[in-house]
Amino acid sequence: MAWLTGLPLAVDLVLGTTLLWLAWRALSSPDLFQAVALFIAFGVILGLVWARLDTIDIALAEIALGAGVTGALLLAALSQLQPAEVDARAAPSATGANEHQAGQPGQTAETADADEAQHKPAVFRALLAAVMGLLLLAALFGLGLVTWQLWEPSSGLTQQVNTHLPESGVEHPVTAVLLNFRGYDTLLEIAVLLLALIGVWSLATASNLGDTTPEPVLAALSRLLAPLMILVAAYLVWVGAHAPGGAFQAGSVLGAAGVLLRLSGWRLPAGAAGWPLRLVLALGVAVFAFIGIAVIGLGEPLLGYPTAWAKHAILVIELAATLSIGAILASLFIGGRP
Amino acid sequence: MLPSGAVWTAALVFTPLLAALACFLAPRAANWIGLLAAGLTTLAAATMVPTLMTDGPLRIAVGGWGAPLGIDLYADGLSAVLLLMTAVVGLGVSAFAPAYFGAHPQQRPWFWPLWLILWAALNGLYLSADLFNLYVMLELLGLSAAALTALSGGGPALNAAMRYLLVSLLGSAAYLLGVALLYHAHATVDIALLGARIEPGMLANAALAVMFAGLMLKTALFPFHFWLPPAHAGAPAPVSALLSALVIKGSFYLLLRLWLDLFGDLSRLLPELIGLLGAVAVLWGALQALQQQRLKLMIAYSTVAQIGYLFLAFPLAGGLNGTTAWRAVVYLALAHGLAKAAMFLSAGALLRFAHHDRIADLDRAVHRLPLTLTAFVLAGVSIMGLPPSGGFVGKWLLLEAAFQQDRWGLAVVVLLGGVLAAAYVFKVVGYAFTPTAIAQEAESVPLSMQWSALLLALGAILLGFAAPLLLPLLDVGAPFEPIVGMPS
Repeated sequence: MAWLTGLPLAVDLVLGTTLLWLAWRALSSPDLFQAVALFIAFGVILGLVWARLDTIDIALAEIALGAGVTGALLLAALSQLQPAEVDARAAPSATGANEHQAGQPGQTAETADADEAQHKPAVFRALLAAVMGLLLLAALFGLGLVTWQLWEPSSGLTQQVNTHLPESGVEHPVTAVLLNFRGYDTLLEIAVLLLALIGVWSLATASNLGDTTPEPVLAALSRLLAPLMILVAAYLVWVGAHAPGGAFQAGSVLGAAGVLLRLSGWRLPAGAAGWPLRLVLALGVAVFAFIGIAVIGLGEPLLGYPTAWAKHAILVIELAATLSIGAILASLFIGGRP
Repeated sequence: MLPSGAVWTAALVFTPLLAALACFLAPRAANWIGLLAAGLTTLAAATMVPTLMTDGPLRIAVGGWGAPLGIDLYADGLSAVLLLMTAVVGLGVSAFAPAYFGAHPQQRPWFWPLWLILWAALNGLYLSADLFNLYVMLELLGLSAAALTALSGGGPALNAAMRYLLVSLLGSAAYLLGVALLYHAHATVDIALLGARIEPGMLANAALAVMFAGLMLKTALFPFHFWLPPAHAGAPAPVSALLSALVIKGSFYLLLRLWLDLFGDLSRLLPELIGLLGAVAVLWGALQALQQQRLKLMIAYSTVAQIGYLFLAFPLAGGLNGTTAWRAVVYLALAHGLAKAAMFLSAGALLRFAHHDRIADLDRAVHRLPLTLTAFVLAGVSIMGLPPSGGFVGKWLLLEAAFQQDRWGLAVVVLLGGVLAAAYVFKVVGYAFTPTAIAQEAESVPLSMQWSALLLALGAILLGFAAPLLLPLLDVGAPFEPIVGMPS
């Protein structure tokens, strides 16, 4: 049985080598579609690596968000990029002229400024390249040091988190950190997601992605899968209190359900695409902030839930956050304001 | 009993954040919600001043956990003056925006939520004592700033915004890498705890290198300034004002904090290098500004030069009376915030007036748009550093520190930068007096646009008289004194 002891090491070696190889191939691939596919595979393998390191929460998040959501977003961007590239090759001068005619007179003057800044002498470009090279070298130097330091394991704040876990209202340390000990960060991270969507919506209206009649297989599959995914999302929120799971993972499953429904031809009713949709998108930040501020009135510090009902507060916040994260991710995939 | 200070700290971050949500939900009422939020946030910033002056610096444990488990907020004099400057500039730009976006109605519903989130991020940044929380603030700040840059649409603006976004993400990633290093070694991300635990060595140096590289990129210190002129000049005028006056101050503040509380004693060479880059930025930026044909690009290059001044304090800080150098550059940052916002808003008013911003074709703008040109000149006085402006106080203190340490080279750079600034400001004024051969059409400019620029410029001048009030506020909590127990 001596050969079995070497097995974990062999698995780790294979995972590590595959990860590096996928990363290199994704970066070097000239075909964008292939690069995205390799990136998704990279995310899945990275998730397995996290699982091997006994960090199930990060593994779940990496596969759901890193591979799943990011992959879907990249594919959606790619599908919009390719027609644009063909258009640009067909009529390069026409698009350039349109840009200048489309703007207001004042705008044309403002955007023309930036035009001038585009033409820089070669010396400047060389300088730029040198600076960027130096910056990258600095980053690589730091990275090398990180790996070197990681040989000595560091327990970080694990001890402290475990000591205060009973006061947090949940039994899973990751959820306790995300929703209670460092809830302020999480509140603002949900705001970052919403901000990204506001940024995307400020740029364009939604494309007609998936407006063609869906294939019957896809339609049948989505009727089967969508309710199941909603159920899985609900389970993930609930289980987050005592095991790996929580709002971000659940939200990404919910978002995936939204993407699937959209691709199989389902549309939000016209009445729901206005403020009701916006309300769902903003709900996570609003509920989190409201509870966090309301506790000040009870004499607690900002975002300090009284231990007695911390569990309920966290569940309400997680439910609202899951809905918002799901809606935001699906809206990001669709790509523009409705 | 309410926990002391918790209310106004919460108000400073959550008023703009919740108002941004309200603007997103009710876009038609965005102007009113935005103006109300601007007023309330300014009020919260003003309430903070007497509390700090009587009770000293304030530390608040969010959620009651306390560092290192939870996140701490910390406000001292340095945070306070920057929060105040942000509030004043924010109020001015908010007053300018409704009339400006009246002519660009498709941009208005997006300007408000993005700008209010940006404001929340800046206030959160100045209040945070936690390196990871600061990273989240940098993310909010960078994303909202990039989205605002893209607001005017069109190829060049989108290009500039995309480049800005990538630069901003690269800077944040480098910063985060440093945070990871420090957390791994010292098991905390609280700045005060880290300050006590950090020790010279490979790891601290690597963290210093990546964090400073990332933040200097975000602050656009020469030669990392390449992204700034197209982004700041291509954005709509109120956004340009926010980017130049406020956003780069956020990352500069973080650099300053890290240096004062963590890294100040690690390197003798680095401050000299940073000072050198600052000196080159002062001269290079001013020379570039002098060559520009477009008003907004000129103002953007002037920002590159003014950022340079902020870094001249690093080589002076270690020497005799080094705290004077820190006070000087913080004062310069405040003065630049007010003056540069006024300049970009005047440029916005001039653009509305003439539909172009070619400096050579300003065509007697002085007679036709006197309020706006007055605002531009007053702001220029502060940028040049002439008495009695805020810029003068800053440069005076900086020169004082340089003379005390016999750093004549730095003193010459400070003076030469002022002369060059005078050259590019007077170039604009000269053309504004000159009639052009072809008579030009002009559109009337709403008074709210002209007055908000003028009041901000007056603020930059009044800042020169406010030194006896502001300098004691700045010293609350002694942000520039070396930490006890560490070699200085």
